[in-house]
Amino acid sequence: MHIAEGFLPPAQAAAWTAAAAPFVIHGVYSLTRAVRADPEAKLLLGASGAFCFVLSALKIPSVTGSSSHPTGVGLGAVLFRPPVMAALGTVTLLFQALLLAHGGLTTLGANVFSMAVVGPWAGYAAYRLVRALASRLPEQTSLGAGVFAAAFTASLSTYTITSLQLALAFPDAAGGVAGAFVKFATIFSITQIPLSVVEGLVTVVIVRLLSTVGRDQLLRLGVLRGRTADGDGGTGGADASDTAGRPQEPTIDRTPDGEATA
Amino acid sequence: MLTIDAEAYRSPWRTVHPAVKGVLFGGLLVCALALPAWPGAALVGTAALALGLGPARVPPRKLLRTALGPLAFIATGAVTLLVSVGGPDGLIAWDPQGAARAAELTGRASAAVVCQLLFAFTTPLADLLPRLSRAGLPPALVEVVALIYRMLFVALDTARRVGAAQAGRLGYANRRNRVRSLGALGAALFVRSYDRAARLQRGLECRGYTGELTVLVDEIPLRASALAAAAVPAVLVAAAALTLGAWT
Repeated sequence: MHIAEGFLPPAQAAAWTAAAAPFVIHGVYSLTRAVRADPEAKLLLGASGAFCFVLSALKIPSVTGSSSHPTGVGLGAVLFRPPVMAALGTVTLLFQALLLAHGGLTTLGANVFSMAVVGPWAGYAAYRLVRALASRLPEQTSLGAGVFAAAFTASLSTYTITSLQLALAFPDAAGGVAGAFVKFATIFSITQIPLSVVEGLVTVVIVRLLSTVGRDQLLRLGVLRGRTADGDGGTGGADASDTAGRPQEPTIDRTPDGEATA
Repeated sequence: MLTIDAEAYRSPWRTVHPAVKGVLFGGLLVCALALPAWPGAALVGTAALALGLGPARVPPRKLLRTALGPLAFIATGAVTLLVSVGGPDGLIAWDPQGAARAAELTGRASAAVVCQLLFAFTTPLADLLPRLSRAGLPPALVEVVALIYRMLFVALDTARRVGAAQAGRLGYANRRNRVRSLGALGAALFVRSYDRAARLQRGLECRGYTGELTVLVDEIPLRASALAAAAVPAVLVAAAALTLGAWT
């Protein structure tokens, strides 16, 4: 759900840009550091960004006809980690605004905040939580459940934040911000809730296929664990220990370094 | 190719410096946001469309088709302003001021969308991106952005071909197949994008790649007079809107 150009009052658009800025700057910092450490990461980041853009341009079937939708948010957070996703997501949103007319330039900050900051973090947190809870299950099951949770949560949290942004901009005459939030959330839920479910399912299919045909890439990105051939089982424990305190710095480094060494 | 990008390359204004177009449509965009919606938004919309469809020769049908998405969002958002919830008149009631607010919002946002689209329709991203590093963004970021832009069309083409092949095998015949096909498309795209990036890397290294992709950018001289002329429509619209507003 992209807020169109000119929809938000200038002061609010500026405020959301300021709110998104630290996350994007952090993402850009980690991205430039990765590129400086290893020039090969540049091409892989380019490929990842193009992948995110094309995913977001796919038409997802829904009850109200097909609708294009920021599909990659949850998947991107799982594959590339939220800090890198903040940078890639910002670029994707800028390209969407200028190439597809999805979202605006003055509302870019608000869209970045919902789709490249809150969505990825919420999706990633849900993924980590489910992976930790399902650590006893076989890896395929735990991965599927985690990825579904990530995509569903990322999509829904994006939609909730967008509704909140709209409600803050246009409070209801009688019900105030809360009333306006209910109105916006209701009218957009018609498309967004079924879309989130379908997106979750599609993302599960993608990751299940990737865990067989793209196993090397997933290992490099740190989504799958253990380089032993047996695959199923035994890897959840490593996951569970990793969830404690979700450190940011090592995860940023791991993406490019892992890509580079393989 | 994407409609907007294809039209931007064909645009007669492609030879105009991006900064000039930025000042022209950006100025009008600021007018749409800052001036009172009536008559500001109407004047901005008229001025932008007159410039875009006239000298810039943007095809109106393609502009309209592209604008439908954001306009649908604006309409959906504006509809919610018509009613109020939780007031004394029951759970959902007509808001007496709602229609005026909705009309104001629709006008302002539509005018802003037109300005944004006309800038996109006249400026290819390839002309804009190399200039971003001069605007102070880190060069590594600008290069990644430029790489994303260059890889994007191959990725889009891959997605289109995979989609066509899947459709030929009834991959989109029912809902279940559609979810499975979309998933397979995403997975294939990911694997192929990474594979292509790795091969590109190898090819570039064989040609002495040191981490910098240098491309030729058409040097378009930026004249102060052109910049000043580009600011004229916005100034005129602002003046006209303020004087008209003072009368009414």
